[in-house]
Amino acid sequence: MKFSRRDLLVWGAGAAAGLVVTPVPWKLLDDASKWSQNWPWIPQPARGPVEVKQSACTLCPNGCGLKVRMASGSPVGVAGVASHPVTRGALCPLAFGAHQLNWHPDRLRTVRHHGTAASWDDARIAFARACSEGGVVVLDGYPGRAASAVLETFAEKRGEYRVVRGAETRALMPYEKWSGAPAESLGYDLENTATILSFGAPLLDGWGVPGRLTRLWAERAAGQAEPQLRIIQVESSLSRTAGRAYQWISIRSGSNGALASGVARVLLEERLVSAHGPIPDLSLSDAESQTGLDANAIRELARMIVAKPPVIIIANENNPAVAALNIVLGAVGSRGGIVRRSKTAKAYPSADAAIASARAVILDSSVPWNFVPQTDAEVFRFAAWNGGPTRADWLLPAPGFLEELTDVPTAPTSGIETYALAASLTEAAHQTHSCAEFLASADPSLPSAEKIIHTRCAELFRTKKGILRSREEVSVAKIASVQKLEEQLWNGAVWVGEPASGESIRCALKQWPAADARSPLDWSTSWAAPVLPPLASKLYQESGLRESQGRNA
Amino acid sequence: MSARYGMVIDLDRCTGCGSCMVACAAENNVPALPQATARTGLTPVLVRKVSNGLEGNLRREAFIPIMCMHCEHETPCVHVCPQQAVEVDAATGIVMQMPQRCLGCRYCMTACPYHARYFNWWDPSWPAGMEKTLNPGVASRMRGVVEKCNLCHARFHAAKEKAAAAGRREIDAADYIPACVEACPTGAIRFGNLADQNDPVAQEAHSANAFRLLARIGTEPKVYYKSNEAWVRKMAEPGDQSSSPVRSTEISNHQSEVQHV
Repeated sequence: MKFSRRDLLVWGAGAAAGLVVTPVPWKLLDDASKWSQNWPWIPQPARGPVEVKQSACTLCPNGCGLKVRMASGSPVGVAGVASHPVTRGALCPLAFGAHQLNWHPDRLRTVRHHGTAASWDDARIAFARACSEGGVVVLDGYPGRAASAVLETFAEKRGEYRVVRGAETRALMPYEKWSGAPAESLGYDLENTATILSFGAPLLDGWGVPGRLTRLWAERAAGQAEPQLRIIQVESSLSRTAGRAYQWISIRSGSNGALASGVARVLLEERLVSAHGPIPDLSLSDAESQTGLDANAIRELARMIVAKPPVIIIANENNPAVAALNIVLGAVGSRGGIVRRSKTAKAYPSADAAIASARAVILDSSVPWNFVPQTDAEVFRFAAWNGGPTRADWLLPAPGFLEELTDVPTAPTSGIETYALAASLTEAAHQTHSCAEFLASADPSLPSAEKIIHTRCAELFRTKKGILRSREEVSVAKIASVQKLEEQLWNGAVWVGEPASGESIRCALKQWPAADARSPLDWSTSWAAPVLPPLASKLYQESGLRESQGRNA
Repeated sequence: MSARYGMVIDLDRCTGCGSCMVACAAENNVPALPQATARTGLTPVLVRKVSNGLEGNLRREAFIPIMCMHCEHETPCVHVCPQQAVEVDAATGIVMQMPQRCLGCRYCMTACPYHARYFNWWDPSWPAGMEKTLNPGVASRMRGVVEKCNLCHARFHAAKEKAAAAGRREIDAADYIPACVEACPTGAIRFGNLADQNDPVAQEAHSANAFRLLARIGTEPKVYYKSNEAWVRKMAEPGDQSSSPVRSTEISNHQSEVQHV
């Protein structure tokens, strides 16, 4: 049979028409589009089973409960733990991108000496030389951890241990002076209060344990005309907290103490409170001129805060005049006020004072990046991320997010004692050592943090006090062995102590403190992340929600 | 029985913390590209700050999380897509975006009255090592396609698989919670089945102070908002010239978009 040109064309046209009604071109198109989305250079998520583990966040001292999704040994997602006794499932925005922090471009990967790469051996030799030549001051940002105990033990032998306090703990320091109870043992009984007068504290924007007050506010105040919880925010500008408060009181910047003194004078003169105390020297007209607030508005504020007790005053810094208002209101050592949650917490020397005689200063990675010690000594700073310019002589890479086994003691503002453990869920991405490990290498007689954690768990088991909170609540007295207790803590359970006794703190005020005493330090007292998760940087920039915070990726 | 998944966002509870944005981006493997700007980045949920336009003590601000509204009726993006890359899923009511079909013409972005769609300008990339933290339930997408909120469809699939493994046809509501809802620390974003009259979210969607953005254009969005503040509710219909001097706060690099909200 002869195959003509005409037959070829007819066959070709028929084949083309037939092909269209077959699945072949559509399948090829589909495959091509899928293939083109999987270029070899496009990173793909790891495959493998996903498991969920519970831990505690160690980015700041608040230790929020974390539910971490793990795949192929890496954390791939973070969420809050609904059963956590303090946070109740809430987290700060940084936590949701925190699992990416270990790979942040500003992660400290190697030892740096005056900006140039060095080795761990170089750092150890330099530190050993410094130790042999003089005293060492150890600075800690989260006191009370097992690692802190290692630091403290080393400092007792070789020099001095000091604590860098965050803004929330600094705001409690006047009560330490007046009552003798360490600021680290005090907390706010927010769950039982009805009115909060905040002097600039960012209550709904990361203050204290970030989720604690936002959860309370959402349940008891948000959108309610007559809320169960009144937040009155004193602030010079419309902050996030001021915008969501029951009442926003706008005053001149730096006049918090003057307003507190004016309110105290009204409370005492009009006998709006039963407590007696020294009347402030500041007259109401002086308070008016300093704050820019009308005297009637100050009187109105005083009446408003006593209208719905219990009331608590929260300062954003160490301001004795503001703190004294709590004493006038009888809010120290009472339900819904400032409580002493622990009788065993120690008072630590503050790192605020200049360090004169030391040969070396070593900063744990828990010390905020923006804290600069006032010293001429050689500075060894541990940090997981490089937060920008620093005066440290040595930068030593520390474990990052979820890379370190540690314990998490009570958060600074908490009204109840808690204790949790944070397991090391992922291997360190780089060669890192914690400050406690580094000191142990310099002094092998130091106990390890793990050993201290075992001892602490054994002590909790021995006292039989408190409960373990995970999905269910179990009394410590009903737990069979210390191993079981420790196992549950490693699996994300939180030990919760007994409610604080208000009667264990008494403050005496002989003279009204001076208004607005300024802090001698020039560093910001609020905790700030050295770097933000790249996603948070990106989204804050693209939404315009926040001004630049920390450093971008 | 088909569901109609939707949200009610209580604006009186939103503190503008941005947790929903970060959790959404982490869940959906959105890359943090340094070259992306406010106009070119992917933000499936974007929290915008608005004010009542007054100054001093009278000034009030609110935060409005904006995402795909999952319009039910005459869905604009579905109508204009030449590739049938967008469809309203009959079983869930979720407006689905299929990147495999998308040719990147961006008609849907123009048609979307809520500016809730984003074009993927670049191949995704992460700093070295960070790819280990990607969510294995969600693929990373190539450049040249349009992206948007799909109500964490990977979580819906996971819930379906779990139900199937247990021999159930219907998913357990507790197994399907989008990342933004899970992350919201104040519980401002609530998620549920609007077709189920017994669902608290469906009931809340019809409460007195609930409203929808641009309700007058008739697209029946399945994202509802709620506020006791009259000035916030007036934000929903910016075309109404008789409303009080409510305006969006000027957000850097966002003026042209924000003015429409």
